[in-house]
Amino acid sequence: MYANIKTIGLAAGLAIGLSGMAHGETMVFTAWGGSTQDAEFQAWGAPLVEEEGVNIIQDGPTDYGKFQAMVEANKVTWDVVDVEFDFAYQAARDGLLEPLDFSVIDRDAIDPRFVTDYAVMSFPFSFVLGYNADLLGDTKPAGWADLFDLEAFPGKRTFYKWSSPGALEIALLADGVAPENLYPLDLDRAFAKLDTIKDQIVWWGGGAQSQQLIASGETPIGMFWDIRLWPLQASGLPVQIQWEQNLASADVLVIPKGAPNKDTAMKFIANAATPEGQKRFFDIITAEEVEGGVGGSGNVQTLPEGGANQVTMDLAWWGENRNIIADRWYAWQAQ
Amino acid sequence: MSAAQTRRERRQGIGLAIPAMLVLAVFFVMPVVSLLLRSITEPEFGLQNYATLIATSTYAKVFWNTFMVASVVTVITIILGYPVAWMLSVLPGRWAAVVFAVILLSMWTNLLARTYAWMVLLQSTGVINRSLMALGIIDTPLPLINNLTGVTIGMVYIMLPFFILPLQATFRTIDPSTLQAASLCGAGRWQAFRRVLLPLSLTGVLSGGLIVFVMSLGYFVTPALLGGTSNMMLAEMIAQLVQSLLNWGLGGAAAFVLLVMTLALYAMQVRYFGAPGQEKS
Repeated sequence: MYANIKTIGLAAGLAIGLSGMAHGETMVFTAWGGSTQDAEFQAWGAPLVEEEGVNIIQDGPTDYGKFQAMVEANKVTWDVVDVEFDFAYQAARDGLLEPLDFSVIDRDAIDPRFVTDYAVMSFPFSFVLGYNADLLGDTKPAGWADLFDLEAFPGKRTFYKWSSPGALEIALLADGVAPENLYPLDLDRAFAKLDTIKDQIVWWGGGAQSQQLIASGETPIGMFWDIRLWPLQASGLPVQIQWEQNLASADVLVIPKGAPNKDTAMKFIANAATPEGQKRFFDIITAEEVEGGVGGSGNVQTLPEGGANQVTMDLAWWGENRNIIADRWYAWQAQ
Repeated sequence: MSAAQTRRERRQGIGLAIPAMLVLAVFFVMPVVSLLLRSITEPEFGLQNYATLIATSTYAKVFWNTFMVASVVTVITIILGYPVAWMLSVLPGRWAAVVFAVILLSMWTNLLARTYAWMVLLQSTGVINRSLMALGIIDTPLPLINNLTGVTIGMVYIMLPFFILPLQATFRTIDPSTLQAASLCGAGRWQAFRRVLLPLSLTGVLSGGLIVFVMSLGYFVTPALLGGTSNMMLAEMIAQLVQSLLNWGLGGAAAFVLLVMTLALYAMQVRYFGAPGQEKS
């Protein structure tokens, strides 16, 4: 149903796009939808529209199946796509991506952890331990180990549902693995650790659901995207973040191989890669999600470092092992 | 009317169907065939994807879940829907219209919105559990969501109109005086139901039940949101295989198996109860 509406929107968008082609360049920007995609468009696309008369059509949500299918059929309609970083590594290896033009994009301005020859960070985020302070007792969780401590913190906890960097790292850190020894991930050990709390896990499939779970108290504790907790904090809910060993990652922008408007796509990505572009983006999402724009920006500025105990996930390793892990992850979940 | 004329009219009728057939060919038959081809050519030519489906316990479990959920949902829908359909056909016109409106309104409300509403109702901190706990009936929240119970409640609710409406059409063809005749002949209520009403409406029950069963087999949103990961059904698994794992071969094989099962059920219906819309007396 959702997809149908999107398709109609795309058809209408394409019609407008075609009629506008006489005036200037056109490109299609695809991301995950919602307020995040709007902010990405406003921060990095709108300047191109205003200054250069570029016609930007938005599509979404990102769908890796579709992505691969259009590249393989050589019928690519997307020019810039927001994807997860581990997928970008895998897609680059499988020849699904265009190499980026770093004469247009300023590579030096980008956090080196989140840039490759094929992908540039759209926004950084961390998996953090979040909790609803009103619903926990006097003891506050001090780290990932507490997420697995059913005696000190009984009841339901929430984890990210999809196979992705994050939950397995959390399990290993909780089990006492030192951050520098995380990779290659010891999958047996990680799943064994997760098994100890499996029947107490409620899975969240999207950001809005995670917010609902912690705000309602359905799961007073769990792993969350930091950027989804700030708006709750700013709206006055007793939501707290334990930053200890927060797991840093990023979404990235890529150009599918054979994209019809590569040059314009490079300019779009160049806008995203500047500090000003990043600031514009975070100003918009915090202003949109948080009344008065409090809370967010302060956190963003500390994010690239994220405190001394931040752990950066090895997304190149994930890119190599993404499918093997996913097979095992879903089989384990379905057991 | 001569035979030649009738034939000509029949041919004209076929001409009118061509646009619809073309749309089906381009947007349904071709994609299905290409998916089928991928399932036997990726990663290499052969039936290895089908072998994987059968041999892997996870996939076998998902198939089992799918059939089990579809069966449970169908049985409960029949039990709950039957009296409603009967009520619709005996209520005076104005009241029947009100009940109809309620059923249709629920059908026309966005599926996602309805499913989210169930999430709010069913979760541990939801309306139902809070009320029961406030009344002192239970001490700890009942597990109503992220499990089979949640999936069943959500799906039965969505499927009810698809059962009630066709069954109600069957009831309309039953002359109410047959029941009167039964009671005149000395049948009690139960006997009148069991020996007169039920046999007369059985075709409607079975074809309505089949619609519900087939729709349930391919359901996506409700199981994904109200079920737990161990209740995964086929549609969600196919989406995961294709969208997230980029495994078109295996996803295609699973989709094709689902399609074949659905067609087999449909063939069964046609064989035993006639094609839909064509009452078999």
